[in-house]
Amino acid sequence: MSCGAGQRFLRAPRRLWSFYRGTEQRHTGTDTGRTVLPLDLSQTLDLDQDLPQTLDLPQDLPQTLDLDQDLSQTPDLLRTSVRPQTSVRPSSSQSGGLNVFDRQMKRRQRQWAAAQSDAAQYDYIREEVGSRVADRVYDVARSFPLALDLGCGRSFIAEHLTKDVVEQFYLTDISPNCLKRLRPSEIPARCVLADEEFLPFKDDTFDLVVSSMSLHWVNDLPGALRQVWRVLKPDGAFIAALPGGDSLYELRCSLQLAQTEREGGFSPHVSPFTAVTDLGQLLGRTGFTLLTVDTDELQVHYPGIMELLSDLQGMGESNCAWNRRSLLHRDTILAAGAVYREMYGNPDGSIPATFDLLYMIGWKPHDSQAKPAKRGSATVSFGDLSKISSTTETR
Amino acid sequence: MSGSNVWNRTREKLRRFPELFAECSLEAAAYGKCVAATTTSKQELKKDLCAKEFEALKTCFTNASKKRCK
Repeated sequence: MSCGAGQRFLRAPRRLWSFYRGTEQRHTGTDTGRTVLPLDLSQTLDLDQDLPQTLDLPQDLPQTLDLDQDLSQTPDLLRTSVRPQTSVRPSSSQSGGLNVFDRQMKRRQRQWAAAQSDAAQYDYIREEVGSRVADRVYDVARSFPLALDLGCGRSFIAEHLTKDVVEQFYLTDISPNCLKRLRPSEIPARCVLADEEFLPFKDDTFDLVVSSMSLHWVNDLPGALRQVWRVLKPDGAFIAALPGGDSLYELRCSLQLAQTEREGGFSPHVSPFTAVTDLGQLLGRTGFTLLTVDTDELQVHYPGIMELLSDLQGMGESNCAWNRRSLLHRDTILAAGAVYREMYGNPDGSIPATFDLLYMIGWKPHDSQAKPAKRGSATVSFGDLSKISSTTETR
Repeated sequence: MSGSNVWNRTREKLRRFPELFAECSLEAAAYGKCVAATTTSKQELKKDLCAKEFEALKTCFTNASKKRCK
């Protein structure tokens, strides 16, 4: 979400970028050439064998890039969508063509965050949102034999669910470190290293797809929702939560004002979020029915701007948009801290950070679902309403 | 980049930011008020509009860091 000054050590040294671009050309795939992995257990990734051991030092980056080559049995579909800014746009006409976020950088940020020894202390937001998504799963009065968790992180939804609601879980994330350090849950789970935009599953596989706090880093949200629609069975549910709309508006405004005053202009430091209205339209256009989109505000209080920035970094939520500037001048940080406290600070000196959470529930169409009534099938008229009130008056 | 452990030293300095910032709450409030006033008034926020207040804040901050170091 925001770029703290301490994030710079995650950048690759220059020589590795040229290697990265050279190998990247293979990844421009077409939609028609896409092959899908059958949901056969023998072809699911065996995390212990296929991954290199340590991934957090810059020297390991070539191994990180070769990660996809090591998976000898998997087709192109399991590769993350890597597209540096200057490359050719993918030739598929179905992709949104949007390239806002650097997915490789997001993977490296998540790798680093998951590898930290104190990673658990940054989990509070994900825990809270995960429990709320699990509540919504419980609200649905049926059980789901097979469920998928998109961008699961260290799995914050499965721990709240029981075996009679979900019988088996498939957990996907772009970061192997997250999948290696999962939180325990009683539901049997399988881990798949997959990008939210390229799900390596056959059509009509899952009864339930959940996602918590990961869709706000997806480049092509319509495409990702189409993928979800594809892998869902008819009468399957998609329940997701993501920060949207006005999340972190205090941070964005303080940085903007401080940077304008100090440097004369400003550049975006907080990543862009989806608005509520856009989300509803997207879901409808993808083909989901019985939509429910609601918002919730989560306000977290921090002692100061530095704590907020370092917590966002520790969560793996640092900004990875291509248009971010990686340098935040120390004068600007100082100024932004002062502006934040003055404009939004609480009486006790702490500062609030707002997360505008958007929850959505959508269903894949099925004949058993209730449909709107046909035109002309009404048996009572609205004009009769006035007759009801007149009869009560005469009584 | 010069030096052997530049990033570690930079991060150490950054970690001291909150405690140093806490010592300059008055100047920070003054600077914050100056900038926040532009959001309500007709005056547009330009570069160095609140330079005086910021200089006061920065000197307080650097003095606090020198004091703590010694």
